[in-house]
Amino acid sequence: MNKAPLVFLGVLFTLSLSWWGMVYSPAIQLGGETPDKGDGTALKPRVGLARQGEQVYRENGCYYCHTRTATGGQFGYKLQITRLDLNGTITDSAIGGADKMLPVIKQAYRFKAVAKAADALKTELGKTEGKSDAAIKAAKEAKATAVKEVKSAELNLEKNLKALGISGVSLDKDLSLECGLPAEKNATQKKLVANAQVTITSGIKQWSDIEAKVKKLKAAKARFRLQPVASDWPDRQNLVAMRQSVSRDFLFDAHAMPGVMRIGPDLSNVGGRLIGADNDAYAHIYNPQSTGKSSHMPPYRYLFHRKKITEDEALPTTAITVTIKGDKRSVEPGYAVTPTAKARALLAFLKSLRTDSALPEAPIVEQAAATSAGTREK
Amino acid sequence: MSDTTDSSAPIATEAPPEAINASCRGPVLFLFFSAALWLVDAAGIGVLGSFKVHMPGFLADCPLFTYGRLQANAWVAFLFGFAGNAGLGITLWMLSRLRGMPLARPGFVVAGTILWNAGVTAAMVGISLGDQSGVAGLELPKYASRVLLIGQAFIAFSAILTYFSRRHKQLYPSTWYLIASLVAFPWIIGTAHWLLVEAPVRGAAQIPLGHWAATSLVQIWLGCIGLAAVIYFIPKIIQRELYSRQWTFLGFWMLLLLGGWVNLNSGAPLPVWQIKLSQLASGFFLLVVIAVSWNLRQTLKGVPLLSSEDLTLRFMGFALSAWIVAGLLTFCNVCPSWNAILQFTYANTAIRHLFAWGFFAMSMIGAVYYVAPRLIGPTLDWPCARIYHWIYRFIAVGVVIVVLAGVGMAYRHGLALQSTGIESEVLQSRALMPMRAAFLGEVLFLVGSLIFLGSMLCLLVRNCCGECSLMSLWRQCRSTKVEGGAK
Ligand code: HEC
Repeated sequence: MNKAPLVFLGVLFTLSLSWWGMVYSPAIQLGGETPDKGDGTALKPRVGLARQGEQVYRENGCYYCHTRTATGGQFGYKLQITRLDLNGTITDSAIGGADKMLPVIKQAYRFKAVAKAADALKTELGKTEGKSDAAIKAAKEAKATAVKEVKSAELNLEKNLKALGISGVSLDKDLSLECGLPAEKNATQKKLVANAQVTITSGIKQWSDIEAKVKKLKAAKARFRLQPVASDWPDRQNLVAMRQSVSRDFLFDAHAMPGVMRIGPDLSNVGGRLIGADNDAYAHIYNPQSTGKSSHMPPYRYLFHRKKITEDEALPTTAITVTIKGDKRSVEPGYAVTPTAKARALLAFLKSLRTDSALPEAPIVEQAAATSAGTREK
Repeated sequence: MSDTTDSSAPIATEAPPEAINASCRGPVLFLFFSAALWLVDAAGIGVLGSFKVHMPGFLADCPLFTYGRLQANAWVAFLFGFAGNAGLGITLWMLSRLRGMPLARPGFVVAGTILWNAGVTAAMVGISLGDQSGVAGLELPKYASRVLLIGQAFIAFSAILTYFSRRHKQLYPSTWYLIASLVAFPWIIGTAHWLLVEAPVRGAAQIPLGHWAATSLVQIWLGCIGLAAVIYFIPKIIQRELYSRQWTFLGFWMLLLLGGWVNLNSGAPLPVWQIKLSQLASGFFLLVVIAVSWNLRQTLKGVPLLSSEDLTLRFMGFALSAWIVAGLLTFCNVCPSWNAILQFTYANTAIRHLFAWGFFAMSMIGAVYYVAPRLIGPTLDWPCARIYHWIYRFIAVGVVIVVLAGVGMAYRHGLALQSTGIESEVLQSRALMPMRAAFLGEVLFLVGSLIFLGSMLCLLVRNCCGECSLMSLWRQCRSTKVEGGAK
């Protein structure tokens, strides 16, 4: 170590090791990431205003107080049936015996029975030869009993639709009406049917607890899914985000800013949280204390235009307002405040920050408190 | 190897070769003085920035003074303004002394310093206008990093010529560190500039890159210069030999190897292997700490540092302790659950302050205390040497406050972030608690750096402007007054 050139080369070599690990390999690995979400859809690049908004976020150093990294945590599973088997032979044992079978699943079986009876009746009616009135009558009666069974369950519409969804049958208009379902389903109802699922476990289960059940369901050819549920996951339980933040959340960022500190809340899913009107978000950025709430976020008044107005002048409709105790007024009394292009861009950027859709490497995790699997069984 | 005499390092020679000091005088004093100016800048902006967290409405109509821009500016002023200038100044002087040769091509140094300071100024103006890079810890706008690279190249050129003007000497370990610091800077800034600006890597890959650049700048660039000063001045002043070259060797290479890996947050949105690797590196960092501290402990063998009579030694002692504590806190990141608690709190900033002020600034100010008067004249001392002690006291107390508040109170904030169902107001106040307490520490930094600047001014005005300067007139007045009073 007495030759400077040797030291120099050694230094270069040693430095290049951490360079390799922290710069080169990540650039190769993360640079090769694709936007594919694994379900046929893809992450969308940030465009237009939102793209410019990222620059406003950077310029003003919002990232010192706000992170965009929802951390991971412990989770367990809920086992959910999404479709009964096609032959209708089972699920009892998997679920826990007929007496324990959940009302919705029972109802789903009844729907299947209705559909079967209706099919049988149709076949009888459609027969060209050997048509027998007795058989038709019997079929009609069978269908009527099946329908009666369905109605006797006295489930509400939502549960009925769920049951219909799980049963996998589709009823025609008349039959729907007979069963007490609407003839034409609206969009939400259709969604309910399409995404129907019933949870058959209570609480949060670890894989070892449900492995046997899963095997039985598989054997019965029922369709099911394992829904992850947060068990000890502060960021999820505190509604910081819907899932863990992963590298692909930064895929389209011109400047990745995962954030330094959480003086303010984590913003990884702020787009999903900003459900109020744009006005409220602007009012918050203009003056975080405008609603009277204590806040240590700095006001960003310079991102807004201010125009003095007189007492009797009406506030322009575009002006930003706050409503305090039912009294709606300008955020800055005496002024009409409107967002500049930068403020609009910033808001568009904030709205683009979302982690409310699943990625294969980061599934949406349910919040434990909201899972009423335990209460449902009681 | 410790018994081989390293005659190029004037360990035992009391009289510093005047020719070397004279050759360094202009350029190095220029660097030191700029450093002092930037230090006040950094501390002032830091105080203003922290104040804004407590009083968010203060000066809120001006984008220049928004928290995010002040925060970026404070760090750029410290890292490039103060640390760059002071570090390069000390590097040049130490290299000349260690090689026993006068500084080669001082003109290049002056030109480089002008460029460097222009670069820092451009960076700060740019950040105020909204050009920060978005990488925490390396907020340089793109044009500024170009200027800084050229400026550093000028200064490094002079350093290299000085170095090669004499070949046959054994290298004192400080030289290794200095060479590493000269190489590391363009390597880090060049990579960051190239991969963030010229050919930017994609979104997520910028996260490890930014972390690597910011961490390496602190751990390797600053770490090397500061440690070079510590292992140069401590043996020199106590007139002993450095205990072992082998230990230094281990500490040096491990620092270079690990400095860029450590401290990645366990919650970073990155592939798991990167986080695990970084935790591993943080774990091995203990070796660096052990190697350096054992070596110096054995060198010192009972000589007190912090309670020493010699002020430079006290500065170096504090710097070394701060570096060790910072190193141990880095080591703590080997434990993911510790890091998980502190990662989003003020703690990381506090630890950075510990490193920046407690270690680096202390070692540099201590070195300047030793070097600056010698540059001007062989028998000269600081005009107001007593007051220089106060720099030490203020910064030391400030660092202690920042670290205790930063890590202790931030731990509570971290625990709150880790539990469920805490009200957002409570969370906010927990987040602010450490910053409130640390504010006091930052004010002390500001006071300390003002005294530093004042001392530098005194030294320069009194000794470079002749006896007819205002300063000496005032002194004369005062001394006559005192005499008059005594009569
Ligand atoms: C000094 C730190 C600080 C800075 C800088 C800062 N914020 Fe905040 N932010 C906070 C705090 C504290 C809160 C929580 C209190 C509140 O709602 O006002 C918050 C809340 C928010 C919220 C509401 C989040 C939610 O989930 O309800 C949004 C949105 C937000 N900030 C956006 C921004 C943007 C955009 C910037 C940059 C222009 C920014 N913040 C800069 C501290 C900061």
